Amino acid sequence: MEIKDFEKPEYFVNRELSWLKFDERVLSEARDKNLPLFERLKFLSITSSNLDEFYMVRVASLKDQVHVGYTKTDIAGLTSREQLKEISTYTHELVHVQYNCLNRSLIPALEKAGLHLILEHEGLSEKQAEFVDRYFEENVYPVLTPMAMDSSRPFPLIRNKTLNIGALIRRETGKHKEELQFATVQVPSVLSRVITLPKEKNGGTSVILLEEVIERNIGKLFQGFEVVCANPYRIMRNADLTIDEDEAEDLLVEIQKQLKKRQWGEVIRLEVEDRMDERLLKILRREFAIKEEDIFPINGPLDLTVLMKIYGLEGFDQYKTPKHVPAPVPAFQNEKDIFQVIREGDVFLHHPYMSFDPVVNFVRQASKDPDVLAIKQTLYRVSGNSPIIAALAQAAENGKQVSVLVELKARFDEEHNIVWAKMLEKAGCHVIYGLVGLKTHSKITLVVRREETGIRRYVHLATGNYNDSTAKLYTDCGIFTCDERFGEDATAVFNMLSGYSEPKRWNKLLVAPIWMKKRFVKLIEREAEHGKKGAPAQIVAKMNSLCDPEIMSALYYASSCGVEINLLVRGICCLKTGIPGVSEHIHVRSIVGDFLEHSRIFYFCNGGDEEIYMGSADWMPRNLDRRVEIVFPVEDPQIRQEIKHILDLQFRDNVKAHILQPDGTYEKPDRRGKAAVWSQMELAREAKERAEAAKNEKKEKSRVFVPAEPMEDPSEK
Amino acid sequence: MAVTTFAAIDIGSYEISMKVFEMAKKNGFRELNDVRYQLDLGTGVYSTGKMSMEKVDAVCEILIDFKRMMQDFGVTEYRACATSALREMENPVIVLEQIFRRTGVRVEVLSNAEQHFLGYKSIAAIEAGFKKIIQKGTAILDVGGGSVQVSLFDKDALVTTQSLRMGSVRIRDRLRELEKTNTHYDQLVEEFIRNDLMSFQRLFLKDRTIQNLIIMGDFLTDNIFRDRLVDNTISRDEFVSRYEYVISKSEEELAEEMGIDTEYAALVAPAMVITRCFMNIFDTETIWMPGVSLLDGIAYDFAEKNRFIKSAHNFENDILVAARNISKRYSSAKSHLQGTTDLALGIFDSMKKIHGMGKRERLLLQIAVMLHDCGKYISMGDVAECSYRIIMATEIIGLSTEERQIIASAVRYNTTEFVYYDKFDGEAGVDIDRYLLTAKLAAILRLANAMDRSHYQKVKGMKAVLKDRELQLVLDSDRDISLELGLLKDKVSFFEEVFGIRLVLRRKRRV
Repeated sequence: MEIKDFEKPEYFVNRELSWLKFDERVLSEARDKNLPLFERLKFLSITSSNLDEFYMVRVASLKDQVHVGYTKTDIAGLTSREQLKEISTYTHELVHVQYNCLNRSLIPALEKAGLHLILEHEGLSEKQAEFVDRYFEENVYPVLTPMAMDSSRPFPLIRNKTLNIGALIRRETGKHKEELQFATVQVPSVLSRVITLPKEKNGGTSVILLEEVIERNIGKLFQGFEVVCANPYRIMRNADLTIDEDEAEDLLVEIQKQLKKRQWGEVIRLEVEDRMDERLLKILRREFAIKEEDIFPINGPLDLTVLMKIYGLEGFDQYKTPKHVPAPVPAFQNEKDIFQVIREGDVFLHHPYMSFDPVVNFVRQASKDPDVLAIKQTLYRVSGNSPIIAALAQAAENGKQVSVLVELKARFDEEHNIVWAKMLEKAGCHVIYGLVGLKTHSKITLVVRREETGIRRYVHLATGNYNDSTAKLYTDCGIFTCDERFGEDATAVFNMLSGYSEPKRWNKLLVAPIWMKKRFVKLIEREAEHGKKGAPAQIVAKMNSLCDPEIMSALYYASSCGVEINLLVRGICCLKTGIPGVSEHIHVRSIVGDFLEHSRIFYFCNGGDEEIYMGSADWMPRNLDRRVEIVFPVEDPQIRQEIKHILDLQFRDNVKAHILQPDGTYEKPDRRGKAAVWSQMELAREAKERAEAAKNEKKEKSRVFVPAEPMEDPSEK
Repeated sequence: MAVTTFAAIDIGSYEISMKVFEMAKKNGFRELNDVRYQLDLGTGVYSTGKMSMEKVDAVCEILIDFKRMMQDFGVTEYRACATSALREMENPVIVLEQIFRRTGVRVEVLSNAEQHFLGYKSIAAIEAGFKKIIQKGTAILDVGGGSVQVSLFDKDALVTTQSLRMGSVRIRDRLRELEKTNTHYDQLVEEFIRNDLMSFQRLFLKDRTIQNLIIMGDFLTDNIFRDRLVDNTISRDEFVSRYEYVISKSEEELAEEMGIDTEYAALVAPAMVITRCFMNIFDTETIWMPGVSLLDGIAYDFAEKNRFIKSAHNFENDILVAARNISKRYSSAKSHLQGTTDLALGIFDSMKKIHGMGKRERLLLQIAVMLHDCGKYISMGDVAECSYRIIMATEIIGLSTEERQIIASAVRYNTTEFVYYDKFDGEAGVDIDRYLLTAKLAAILRLANAMDRSHYQKVKGMKAVLKDRELQLVLDSDRDISLELGLLKDKVSFFEEVFGIRLVLRRKRRV
């Protein structure tokens, strides 16, 4: 048997359907009664925003394929049309479960918890109604732009993802035969969608959604008309940014143009209130040219991302998980200079269990250190008010050579990225806007420092973005090192990103797009060889998504050679387990928890001579073929132990883990008779304990009086 | 500890590259960055003699990037060299000035001889065994974009080095039209270069056996033989099989397969054919490809000059050997040259304070002595002019064109009347420093040459003593040196004029 013998469609799952299963796992968190109530709201909100993105990107792209008559099938043998059909069925079911969960479980529970969610304005008390009407007149009315359609005015352009209220109105002339007109008004996004009402005597908090307030007062918008019906609706447009890079002279300009266009793409989904008037729905259906399977009648409020706003309401702390505070990193719990610490040995960081501060400090200290010559960094997504960006700008002002690769193509962040890229340029940084045709997804920082013994390079490599906000939510790993082989590679990475030729060879790094996939396939094949010989052979890999056909075939091949393969795939997994002779030795599990599992770790047993890699790449074609990605080996024995411990713990998780079954479903493991293992909580506890221990150690040390010593004369060295 | 960072830049005919090095006395030197950008400068220049505005823009842009990358490592010293693409321009000076104004980078155009001298220094830079290798017959082949340089070594010394104008870019351009009508591109190239190869074989290789063939540069090693080298060597069979494979592919296929640009890929076939032709001539079993570039040579040269490293091989000697071989070709009298060299160096060394010249100038003097009467081979009546012309037309490895010009002029004014600055070197006008150096070298050369006028090496020893403003030359001879002493009187006045000291000649009293 060879690798290519395993490339059969029946061995694979369609990636979109696998993605929907992931959203279903998130939804199962929202349905989990063991979770604090407000956390469940948050998960439900996430399923909704996930689904939005899925439609905008994936479904949109499939629609495009159908339009251009693309008939090639995916790895599972499905055409685009077939996929769309299955997606529609699956998504309708998913949405049904979402609202069942909301209506049957969450809203009653909220009620019990003292939060009264008024879903229909008819349910307002007299006093509340009075407040709401005043609120409408003072705050809402001035920002509304009602639009009507008649023979002289065409159907207005409805913006992507906005919530709108559609209405049928009729001139109040007394005559009965007056024609019905369509009118629409956007629920303004500048106002909070959740409005807290004044407290009633019986205590408790009551809230109402903005669209209900508008609906109640809609008559005021169309003076001289009778409003026959009014219902909310929401559309999703094709948002895929397909930039023709061969033509794009200046990427920046092109992306700005595309951003405007995104508002007006083809409508691919229509959500309407399920009670919507048939005549009104008919108009929408016609104007948006949308098919039945893309219409979602909703039993409840549209766009559940509003639940995130409800989560933010004050006074319900007992229904939320206490805010996680990352623990300090033991290696840096001292007064030593960060560079000195790195010189003493590689440092491992595991966020969000450990603080992201050292990474920010690394750049910050470099910006001030008189011996630092240059700072180079790749930035993909950064937080709104990023301390890293501030430090980089400061460094440039301090006369350091600062080069920053800003990836403009980071999906949905383009607008944001352009703003701060310009700011960095103004500060004197050298800003590189990425490579044409390749998204730069690698996370690497290089600091060049002139020291007594010559130039020394400090490198930070990571699995997650340089984003201090998401570092509190995403599980990511990072490493600091001043190993010269990594330093040399880092310089070569930045040469390459600046448009210069690739190096003749890489010392340590595995770099996509050219080299990485081959290396991974080779590593898997090597494991298969060990398996054949009966030597210890095992692969453990953790990633966000697995859908690269070559890698999956290689894994099947390795499994058939007796290699034990344990995969921790949070999201999409197109691989099937339990196929006799193909994937009996492959086990897949997915952890969906409070923190978003984001790190990518690859372990190869290699007959006992273990190798561990970490990096920014998933085993997806887009990561391996169309992005600049970096995966790096972990060399420090102690750090390797630590990573092995993390993997082991996550494979023992029986609280947040879901195990992929041979039939393609995911099930939580049977916990009967076993102690609960909740890996994320466990890791948080361990990090805290270690920080405590380091703190105590330091305290103890400080009890010893240290006699002063004469200053070392540097010239004697 | 003194650590210096140094950048070497090479503006080549198909790419611009830079390496940044760190140098320290203790650790020698270490490469910090190696960056290259593909840019075909050769094509346009070879056919029109000019560089297009777009290409100049591109060069400037890259140099600005390079400058930034230099600052990344706090580079304090750099050397930017351009090779054949700029060398073959009609007026490189103007473009270089533009480049300097726009980027602040001073680029020097290397003469072919300098370029290849640096190139072969690069081999020494990475290979400790270089000295051992060149004990036996060794050929170094450097296939560039514009020309091919072949150097032959034997017994730890350079025998000859020749530049043949058949570089890969040049060949590709010349044959571009024919390519379409001829399916056997390799044969076409072979025939195209055959004549030059035959001449080389007849004139220089003769019946020498070559045991080692070294391929310089990193074009072939980086592209065609990537992952195929064992200890930087490749066997003849492997080479031939790779050759057949490469020749059968189209440029596009090669580009795809090797992950390189089609522009690069187009150079592969010519480079391979040239290499194979030489391999056939030399008939060697293995080829050594150290994969070094001019950049390593520039760095090695810098490190050597600034005493960060000590070279095991005497490169100056190679220059001298090359000069000696030229004098041999023109049948100069060996004993006369040796006698005159001793005298000239004796004078030179005794008055360092007066003339202010250094090691490099001493070398130039030596070469001038060696070539001072090569013109005799052509015409006994017009030695000065003929010598001048021979030197100007002959490449001497390791010397820049300017240095060769100085030597040629010094030799010319050895026997003809010195021309003062205003009229020096025709109307061309010459750098004052170069003019002065020529005068100094000519003065010493004249004096030393006159002391052995009879070519009998009558002066056995010479003691030069500098006292205040008087240089005493005490000549030791047991023969009648009245001819020499008599003739010297003429030369003395010029010598005194140039150095501003009195010269006293005495004969050592014999006891």
